[in-house]
Formats: sequence, structure tokens, C-alpha cells
Amino acid sequence: MLTVNNLAKSFAAPDGVVVRAVDGVSFAVAPAQCYALLGPSGCGKTTILRCVAGLEQPERGSITIGRRVVSDEDVFVPVHERSIGMVFQSYAIWPHVDVFDNVAYPLAVARPRLARSEIEKRVMDVLALVGMASMARRPAPHLSGGQQQRVALARAIVRRPGLLLLDEPLSNLDATLRDSMRRELAALIRQIGITALFVTHDQVEALSLADRVAVMEQGRIVQEGTPPDIYDRPANLFVARFLGAANVLSGVVAERDCQGRVRIALAGGQHHLTLVAEHRPGTNVDVVLRPENLTIGTAAPDHRNAIPGRISARAFQGNSIEYEVDVGGNSSLRVLAPARGGLDRGAPVWIGIDPRRVAIFGRP
Amino acid sequence: MPRVDNLDVAAKAVLAVGVAGAIYLIAVPLAMLLLAAFRGPADLLPFEPGARWTFEHIRALFADPIIVTRILPDTFVFVAGTVALAFALGFGLAWLIERTDLPGREVWFSLVLLPLLVPTPVLAIAWIFLMGPNAGWLNLVLRAAFDLQGEGPINVFTMGGLILCQALASTPFVFLLLGATLRAMDPALEEASGASGASPWTTFRRVTLPVLLPGVLAPLVLVTLITAEQFELPLIIGLPAKINVFSYRIYFELNPLSSLPNYGAAAALSLPFVVLGMLLLILYNRLIARAESFATMTGRGYRQRRLALGAWRLPALVLLTLYVALAAALPAAVLLWTSLFGYTLPLSATAADFSLEAYRQLFANRAFWLGLRNTFLVAIASALIVTVLGMLLGWIISRSQIRLRHALDFVSVLSVGIPAVIAGLGVMLFYLSLPIGVYGTVAILIIAYSYRFATTTRLARAGFLQIHKELEEASAASGARWLATMRRVLVPLMLPALAAGFILLFIVGVREFTIPLVLYSPDNVVLSVLLWQLFQSGQPAASAALASIIIAVVLPVVFLARRTLVRRSLVD
Repeated sequence: MLTVNNLAKSFAAPDGVVVRAVDGVSFAVAPAQCYALLGPSGCGKTTILRCVAGLEQPERGSITIGRRVVSDEDVFVPVHERSIGMVFQSYAIWPHVDVFDNVAYPLAVARPRLARSEIEKRVMDVLALVGMASMARRPAPHLSGGQQQRVALARAIVRRPGLLLLDEPLSNLDATLRDSMRRELAALIRQIGITALFVTHDQVEALSLADRVAVMEQGRIVQEGTPPDIYDRPANLFVARFLGAANVLSGVVAERDCQGRVRIALAGGQHHLTLVAEHRPGTNVDVVLRPENLTIGTAAPDHRNAIPGRISARAFQGNSIEYEVDVGGNSSLRVLAPARGGLDRGAPVWIGIDPRRVAIFGRP
Repeated sequence: MPRVDNLDVAAKAVLAVGVAGAIYLIAVPLAMLLLAAFRGPADLLPFEPGARWTFEHIRALFADPIIVTRILPDTFVFVAGTVALAFALGFGLAWLIERTDLPGREVWFSLVLLPLLVPTPVLAIAWIFLMGPNAGWLNLVLRAAFDLQGEGPINVFTMGGLILCQALASTPFVFLLLGATLRAMDPALEEASGASGASPWTTFRRVTLPVLLPGVLAPLVLVTLITAEQFELPLIIGLPAKINVFSYRIYFELNPLSSLPNYGAAAALSLPFVVLGMLLLILYNRLIARAESFATMTGRGYRQRRLALGAWRLPALVLLTLYVALAAALPAAVLLWTSLFGYTLPLSATAADFSLEAYRQLFANRAFWLGLRNTFLVAIASALIVTVLGMLLGWIISRSQIRLRHALDFVSVLSVGIPAVIAGLGVMLFYLSLPIGVYGTVAILIIAYSYRFATTTRLARAGFLQIHKELEEASAASGARWLATMRRVLVPLMLPALAAGFILLFIVGVREFTIPLVLYSPDNVVLSVLLWQLFQSGQPAASAALASIIIAVVLPVVFLARRTLVRRSLVD
């Protein structure tokens, strides 16, 4: 449905330095798929979205929406001629007209003209879909954040575009509202079966909403895949860290046996881990451990991948407790454990590591 | 940001018309002026048959002793004196209203602005009635009170009198500019200094003053420029006082007492003026950019901490009352009284002196009705043109990436640096040379007035900057073309700013005196020019009646629009 090939775009910063915002990015979104561009601010994800929309003109590369090439060396289809709907980060609800007129706008400017009754029917249908039918005549400035988001979404889909673009669709909402709107948005996108491309810096949003996720860093896609793929098998330390709170222990590969098991001496020199990796002896490595994949207990586990430590801080989070465990050598590990049977601060503990749920990256 | 090559044909056409209009209205007359300064002989139009290239006007300019002995010193004293007095008054009034607990601030705010709203000749005539050496009201009162003999003691027809009048007339302008500066100062900046351990004096010296400085210097430069451009009071009060400033001299070259108009000399004399104006404008733009960068660093939503006046409340009220009396209340009173009772003092008048004859004469005068129609027609039409142009230029400057946009920005600001008398001269030379039948009609006034799009461009720019760019992009992403976006989204959102710009320009148009005087013909007479003609021909009652009518017509318009007007003009 959408193909982006070798896209590039740079900007001149105010100080004259040219920044490569997008640096040769390619990806494809299948029909009815929901695709997320995930990355920290400034990684170029919004620029890609704006190039797809036609709000920016790329320097290089091509963009195809449906069967139509909308942007390459010779062609640049202006934004209003592309088959898109867009939800803006600020929602961009026009304050001078009410909910109905905001949503009716894409139909009102469409040529050839649509009959008034047709416009009315389609607007009310889509308002019903987003649960705003009863507020059709409400003035735009009287809408809450969540209502603005629904109106923005209704406006984006009312003319049944081939592609829905969403720019940080949830970042303007407060935390509790964000959770419920995320679920609603996911359900809605599935229900209407639209192809969607959205950008976000929130990994929870990307992982829960998208069928596929591309993680971006400095204008490039560093990893692309399904959410479980990316979460469980990050391609590098950046992705591992960006996708969630991760503990990183550094160490050196001490030995490697013929079955691919390596013995890693952790920095500080006191502890060793035996894991599966392809790194040669002598390589410096980072071992990434997710807090929810670690176990914590007062007795040493019966396997060899355990590290002793002392609880230095604990934070009760309702359904779980997050411990911070001082493991010596100036490092500490965060561990997420069930809320029942809490351990006290200062208690000596053992941390157990499941070798199948560890990511190891070599360092140059 | 949209690039030009991504806009559709209709959008490009509309924008091109805007750019062409801006250039046509300002650059063409200016170019004509520039050429005229180097074409001679003097009494020929620059491109009349027989005219040729010459440096004689420039040479004459340097050879004329009057320039050095009279015009330069007079202009300098006039400008320096006026700016000093108007700045002291404007700053004092702005500070009292913006930063103290003075009672009735809202009402004072409106009262101080009154002189800004009526044509300057109205005020000039009123001040002559008040401070004329022989029969001025104030002189009669002072002579009676202190038992003085002869003329005076006040004489408006002196340099001092001219400076006083011009300062009274310019004070509201200074007041508006400095009020914005004072209001934009976040008290947290001063509080942070105090919390860092600085004494109040150190805070004032190291924080208050440096933060305020660009916001005070920029208005100072602008007021200097605008005072140097003044023509009305130098003509009406300065001429009888034999004071000879630049702007009047240019007019004199066009309307010499005994010979043909000297176009070349007038154009040559304009050149140094225009250059000086541009230099001051560049300086002003630098200062304002600095002031704005300061303003954007402070957050919004703070409450202004007001100084308790205490025992100083009375002197403060006296100062305000004195200003409003001299600049607004007494002028209005003397005009209304003179129109009804002729030139007698209120105390010595009897019921028999009352007469509506002045009004009767005026209403019987064809020129009055023509002038009334022309005044409104020209003010409305030029305000419309300038508002539309300002909106288009504002969009190009704030939203597009056209390389020309900085040049356009400068062109639009240029109008501030061109005195009305020079703008009138440029338009005159152009349309005298261009035989399309515009000269001498109302149309030439509409064209000539419309060079002032600096204000609307600035207002529109500020308006566009306040409209989130995504509101515009959302329209394009909904499938709307540029024109549809303009019509359905931007114009409705900008309406308050556009309306404010329109009203402002309408007032400027009604006030205008210099341009219609320079371009005068019996067909395109406007009320301000008619007023001066009546006054010149020795009809005090009739001119007072006309002045009263102008005040009565302008004030309601202004009060209806005051809220948006004041708020917007402060944003700028």
C-alpha cells in the first residue's frame, strides 16, 4: 500500500550545519497493516511522515501510495492531491468551526462536489464510529483532549483515504487517558481496516498498536520487525535500551566451548555468567537484562547464572515491586518482581538470570 | 513549509498579484522620485519631451545656503525637542497606567489615545484657538488672572509652541509603544534578581534596565523617524512662525509662491530624507528584533506587579488631567464653542452670539459633501487594499520559503520610512507622467494612501505566527487547495487581526492630510484639506464647525472598535 524507497532529506540548522534528518530510509507497509516508526525525538521519523503526506519535499528517493508514485525525482504530488488522512500531533482542530464542520471539511472541499445529504450522512457515520455523534454541534474550543483526538481521527478517515498518517497521536493526552485512547485507537484501526503509518517516541504505543515496527536512530532505520521480534531480539544496544528499561552489564568473554556457550567475566571480576553467544574469547560485551526477566530471592538458585547482591532501593508499584540491587563493582540491577512477599531494603539477595532471555552485544 | 513550486496555479497567481501590488504601490513611486532628482530642467516632468539627465538639482541642493543655515537647524531643533518632550510625556503616562495602581487606568488609557484618532489639522487649529498670541483662550484667561498687558504670554507661533503641539500630538504614539514594552516585562525577572541577593538598585541596574533597553530604544528611533516626517503642524503652525523644516520645504518646492513647481528640486531634497529614513529603519529593525528575542524568552501568564503610588497619586492624576485637557478636552471644547458662538470666550458670550450659521454654510457647501464622500471612500478603499496586501505579504513572509521574502519584508517596512509628503510627490510624478487619467481623481488618492502596508503586514505576520502551522497543514491533508485553505481556515482565524488592521488603516486614511494636499484637485478634496482651506481663508467658525463634525464622525467608529483595536495594536 505504501512503499518508501531510499528516502533522504536534510535541513540546514540555524547555525548553518546541514543535518541529515532522513538518510536513505526504505520500508513498505502492506494493505490494512499498521506500521510504526519508533525513535527518540530528532531521529527523522516525523520528517518521513511529512514526506509521505507531501508536507515536505524529499531530496532523494521515491514514495508510492497505492499504485501511484507521489514523489520521486520527477514527480511531486502536492499534499491535497494525495489519498491520505492525517492526525496531527496538536490535533489541529480548527477553532472557528464546530465538530461537525471540522469533520465535514475534507468532503466540503472535495471536487466534484458531494451532495449535502451525502456529506451529512458520512460525517454522522464517522462521528458515530468515534463516539462523538452527540457532540456534532459542539464548538471546537470546548473539546477535551480525548475528544479532540476523536475529532481529528474522524476528520482523517471521513473521506476514506488509502492511507492514514498519525503524528504522535497520543502524546498530547495525559497518562490515564492515553492508555484508554490507545486501546480505542487500536480497535478502530482494525475495525475500519485502514492502512496506517504512525510515528511515536513511546515504545509501549508502538509495540501495542503496530503490526510492524521500525526503530529509528539518526535518520536511519536500525531494526524492523514485529513487536515481539524487536522486543525479544533487539539488533543492538540502542534498540534494546530504547524499547524498555534495560539493565546493561559489561564484561569480557573469557571462554567459549564447542556448543556455542560462552563464559563471561563481568566487570568487577567477581562474577561470571554462562550464556549462548557467538563472540570470541577476549571480546568486550554488553549483557542486556530486562527487569521482568530476572528472578530475585534470598536463596541462591540451583543454576549457575546467579549474582548475589543487596537491595539498595525498592519502589512499590501496586501490581509489582521494582527493586534496585547493588551487585558490587559499581553496578546495580533493576528487578521487577511480583508484589507479594516483598523483601526489605538492605536484604542480601540472589538474582537469577535465564540465559534464553538475555541479549549480548559485542563492543568494538 | 510549502515551497512555491508546490503551490497550484491559482495560489501562485494570487501571491504574484500581492507581490506585484506591493512593488507597484511603493517601489514605483520611489523609483520615479529617484529618477526625477536626476532629470531636468526643473520645471519639466522627468520624462516630458525636453527633459534630460542632469546633476543640477543635486548641485543646487548643496549650493543652497538656506539648507544649512535654516532648514537643517530648524529640523534638528524641532525633531530633538519634540522627541524629548513626547518621550518624557509618553513614558510617564505609560508607566503610570501600566505599572502603578493609578485609579481608572482603563478610562485614562482611552483618553490618552484620543489625539491619535483625529486629523492633525483639527488639533492644529484648536491649538491656535487656544494659544494664539492675541486671542487664544489660554492667553485671555492668563492675562485676566495675572493682570497682564499686550500679547501672550503664550505664543503658539514659535519653535517652543510648535514643539509643544507636536509633542502633544505624538505622545499617544509613544505611549502605545512604551506601554507594550512595560507590559511585556516579566516581574519574575526582577524577583529572580532579588532572590539571588541583589538589592533593588542593583536589580534595576543589572536586570530591569538592560531588559527594557531595546524595547525603549526601538520606539525612540521610530518616534524620531516619524517626527522628522511630520508635515501638518510645521505647515499650519510652523509656517506663520517662519520655521522651515525639511518636509515643509519639499512641499514649498512643489508649490512655490511665485513660480512653477520645481519637481527636480523637490525630488533631490527628498533623497537625503529617504536615505536617513532607511538608516533609522534598519536601526529600528535591529533593536526590535533584539527586544522581541527578549520578550519570547519570558513566559506568558504573569501578573503585573503594580507600584503603590500612595501620596503621589494626586500629582499623577494632575499630570494625566493636564495632558488630556491640553491634547483632547480643551481642543474639542474650543472647536465646538467656536463653531456655535464664534470667537468669543465662554464667560463673555451671550445667548445672542449663539448661531448655527457655520453649520448651515457648511452643509450648503458642495465641497463639504464631496469631501465627506471622498474621505470615507478613500479611507475604506485604501484600508481594504492594504489589508489584503498585508495578509498576502504576511503569509509569504511567515509561511513560504521564497527567497524573496526578506526583500518583501523590507519593502513592506519601507513605508514607515517614507514621509507622506515624499510618497505624495512620488505618486504625483508617476501619474503626471503616465497619461491614464488618474491624476486629479479620487483613484490617485486611493493608490497613494495604499503605500502604508507595514502595519497590516506586521499584524498579519503576527497573526500567522499565532496560528499553529498544523491547522493549515490539516486543511491541505484534507484535500483542500491553497485558496480553499486561505478562504476556509486562515481568513476566518485571522479575522480579528485583519479587522484590527483594517480599522487602524481606516483611521490613518481619515486622518491623512499631507497626501491629499500634495495631490489636491477640486474633485478629490477630502475633509482634512477642506478644513485647512477654510481656516486659511479666514473662516474660523466654519472651520471649527467642520472640525467638530470630523471629531463627531471619527470618535464613534473608534469607540466601537476600541477593544480589538487596542489589543491588536499592542500585539504589534
